[in-house]
Amino acid sequence: MSLHAYWAYGLRIHAEIVCPELPSPPESAGDPDVTIRLLPPVESVSESLENRYFEVRPGVFQLAVPGVGQYLVEEGNRISVEPVAGASPEAVRLFVLGSSMGALLYQRGLFPLHGSAVETPWGEMIFVGAQGVGKSTLAACFHRKGYRLLSDDVCAVKSTAEGFEVLPALAQFRLCADAFERLGSPQGARFDVDKFVVPMGKGYCPEPMPLRAIHILAYHESDIPEFKVLRGFDRVQRLVENLYRPHYLKGQSTQSDLMRMAGMIAKQTTMAEVFRRRDPEALDELVDVLESAWAERFAANPVKEEK
Amino acid sequence: MRRFSPEDKLFRNQEMLSTELDQETVLMSIDAGAYYGMEGPARSIWEQLATPMTFSSLVDKLVEEYRVSPEACAEDLQGFLGEMEQEGLLRVG
Repeated sequence: MSLHAYWAYGLRIHAEIVCPELPSPPESAGDPDVTIRLLPPVESVSESLENRYFEVRPGVFQLAVPGVGQYLVEEGNRISVEPVAGASPEAVRLFVLGSSMGALLYQRGLFPLHGSAVETPWGEMIFVGAQGVGKSTLAACFHRKGYRLLSDDVCAVKSTAEGFEVLPALAQFRLCADAFERLGSPQGARFDVDKFVVPMGKGYCPEPMPLRAIHILAYHESDIPEFKVLRGFDRVQRLVENLYRPHYLKGQSTQSDLMRMAGMIAKQTTMAEVFRRRDPEALDELVDVLESAWAERFAANPVKEEK
Repeated sequence: MRRFSPEDKLFRNQEMLSTELDQETVLMSIDAGAYYGMEGPARSIWEQLATPMTFSSLVDKLVEEYRVSPEACAEDLQGFLGEMEQEGLLRVG
């Protein structure tokens, strides 16, 4: 079985499956941090797992997706996949790069948020929020305006001596049909399971970047966009609500570290609710509003020189 | 829910982690996988309990701090401390 080398979340990944979603490593040599093994197909997922769908124990995560495959994630460095005979490679891969990778990030003590990350002169800006609120589409608007992105789906936050940084993930967007058309059906896109996949190209930022602010995107009825800074306990609560697969946290050996990390991220990072109207045109306008809000709020303390 | 008697001694659960956010104290229970926000009187109750004390001494402390009668204070505390105990934030000895 040939091995394919990839690079995501600051990890060198060797996989026995082809993952066009994953960026190539910056240099070819070196031992992998993570290996993804493809085991022989099974007739169906095991019944004991099927009833529970997933299980978390210290250092071990198991997931069974009927008709697709079963997945085992161990010690933050191994993912094993047993596909169900006849399942499409796209579907099998979806749960490797989504659920399994999410569990692996928890095992490694990284804090995975469900959202998009945009690189700005003021630092990394993360957007989280409920399904369908326009996180990916907003990220795509920034991308079209020339900003680089680190991630469109899972933003892994890492604790460092200097503070927190966001790790670059997949170099692509997953857009719903409506957003895809609205953005003028971007080049190089393909349809995958349920979304249009659009590569970020040069608009992908492959280096970790310091985290500056986390925005919770939501709808409101007013026509005027609103930028409202969160205070106190809400900051922790809203942060934890927006974890990627939050139900994977409990039972991890890293649970207490990650809970403590949530408190520290909430304390050291600006957290704001950002309200938009439902009209799809609202997102382009929101980009301008956010640029002004950031310039006003963070101008005194940019993390790097303007380009 | 229990009724506290004036002599009941109240202890913080020492395993709770806490952090200060703006004017609030955020408690984290690793066992329950839950976070709790404490502000205003709740926060000062938690701060008072840094030193274990009896129910009646806690009432005395709060009556000094807030404009409230000992009777009303004791009644409110019954409910609040009961919830804290249920959530595992507090132990009673």
